[in-house]
Amino acid sequence: MSEIELRNLSKRWGSFVGVQDFNLTIADQEFLVLLGPSGCGKTTTMRMIAGLEDVTDGEILVDGKVINDLEPKDRDVSMVFQSYALYPNMNVYENIRFPLKVRKVPEAEHEERVMRASAMVELDDFLHRKPAELSGGQRQRVALARAIVREPNVFLMDEPLSNLDAKLRVSTRAQIKNLSHELKVTTIYVTHDQIEAMTLADRVVVMKGGIVQQVGSPTEIYDTPANAFVASFIGSPAMNLINGEVTKKAFSGDTISVSGLDLPDGPVTLGFRAEDAAIVEKGGQIQAPVYTMELLGDATMITVKVNGELVSVKAAKDYRAEIGDMVRISVPKEICHMFDAQTGARIGG
Amino acid sequence: MSSVSAQRRPKGLRIAANAFVVFWLILAAFPFLWTLWGSFKVELDFFSIADWTNALTGANTERAYGTTTTTTAYHGAWIEQEFWRAVINTAVVCFCVVCLSLTMGTLGGYALSRSNYRYTFWLLIAALMFRAMPPITLVSGYLLPFFQWNLWGYLPTTIVVLVAINQPFTLWMLHSFFQKIPKELDESAKVDGCTQFQAFRHVIIPVMWPGVITTGLFSFLLAYNDFVVGALLLSEENRTMVPAIAAFLGTTQTEGNVMFAVAAVVSATAPLFVLVMFFQRQIVSGLTAGAVKG
Repeated sequence: MSEIELRNLSKRWGSFVGVQDFNLTIADQEFLVLLGPSGCGKTTTMRMIAGLEDVTDGEILVDGKVINDLEPKDRDVSMVFQSYALYPNMNVYENIRFPLKVRKVPEAEHEERVMRASAMVELDDFLHRKPAELSGGQRQRVALARAIVREPNVFLMDEPLSNLDAKLRVSTRAQIKNLSHELKVTTIYVTHDQIEAMTLADRVVVMKGGIVQQVGSPTEIYDTPANAFVASFIGSPAMNLINGEVTKKAFSGDTISVSGLDLPDGPVTLGFRAEDAAIVEKGGQIQAPVYTMELLGDATMITVKVNGELVSVKAAKDYRAEIGDMVRISVPKEICHMFDAQTGARIGG
Repeated sequence: MSSVSAQRRPKGLRIAANAFVVFWLILAAFPFLWTLWGSFKVELDFFSIADWTNALTGANTERAYGTTTTTTAYHGAWIEQEFWRAVINTAVVCFCVVCLSLTMGTLGGYALSRSNYRYTFWLLIAALMFRAMPPITLVSGYLLPFFQWNLWGYLPTTIVVLVAINQPFTLWMLHSFFQKIPKELDESAKVDGCTQFQAFRHVIIPVMWPGVITTGLFSFLLAYNDFVVGALLLSEENRTMVPAIAAFLGTTQTEGNVMFAVAAVVSATAPLFVLVMFFQRQIVSGLTAGAVKG
């Protein structure tokens, strides 16, 4: 049982800002994902919670108690590292048992708890191997078992899937989701992969340059991105963003014209998702030659150029077009997200 | 693979390459083999002015003792001249120097490798400078205070000086070994419940053994082969092996004394061969394999 609260949490190295004024309350048993490009401060935030990095300003509270000055060992967190950081001289059993040993858990309980943890990640057959004799996925599971064996209050995972190949990543992702559901432990998960964030999280924190951009459920972040950066970071493909001008309540550019917008005149950024737009026979707000066509299997991706930006639209899977063919794309104002051209902030609901 | 590519080389080149290796081996090993062979002869044979082949045949040795080989040189050095004292002294000095150097070196090297402060770089540069200085500069400076404080001539004094000379090197070597161990291992241990020192002891040192053994071996060799410090800072009864050998060579008035030196040289060299051959596997094998993703 533990609720984590971050109050104005900041990290600076000299004049370089790692994390700036991070405020957040993480509910007990919540699965929180910190998402952002590399260098956005997500790992730094996690390391501050783990106690591996000193806090420059602000406070970290667990269940109402400030833990800023506690050593990592006194914080009752466990962590899965990106590189796994297994102890190479110990076999799998000893690796998993290590946290129990150093924390002076009664010897009698060790075997049972190690067996339970290793069974959860299906490692029973490998207990006597050294880490060097395991595959990447198996090492990753040892790291997971070592983290769960102690039944900590908080689980920290630093890009645990980034060293696995694509196929293994999907199955391990499912395993982590299932595990967190079973263990009911507050989990903070760092990743730069928006799909991991969408699939795993109860709530996502999108960060950039040490500053929190948006906090919300995956659906909120996907459906109503708080700014152009979040819009461009979430989704596959990312949201189409077009810079242009609003004149007389209509957004228009060289090949686009969306009317009926309730906005004052001036520059804005218009965004819409590839799957919301559609290829149409007549009408449509965009009329442009096909720049490229990609077959995705379940859909066909048509890309055109609008105001110099590449804009993608998902069409039916049997749709075909040649490069250069003129297509009409329907972009009704209901699917459009408007962002301030300067700040990138969302305009309207 | 290598044998296949060796086959492809022209025959002449292969013969030349092998001949060179054999030549080099003889060149390198000859002084040792010559000394080993000669140590079982009398001085008149090994240092024969009349005919150098006496050293091989042992003509004078046969005349004196009835056989072509004799262990009189060893007997003289070990029993009469009490070379065994020097051996014990060397053992004591080497053991203490290795233990002290490694204790301070591992702790210091670990601290330096994990420190984020910029002065660690300058500390290491300073260490490098002290390493570059000839040991005698340290020793000559110590002589006067050691005489005045009545510390001269004792083994502990020499041990301290040798450790001081050796420390920059062990610090550098261990520091670079520690840097090769990923920081995530420490951090993981700390999150798992270790203090910094427990992480060092339970997680880092077990991975560090090859580095510690290698560094220990070099520290041992420095102490074992030291001449300057031992010769200047030790009294006669506390001498280590190398200064003792030098002392045998310095007193050639009595016939046979120089042979004590030869026998002592062989006695001092033999353990080194065993040592290097025994440890070479440990040095080569790396324990860090599999620590991080592979």
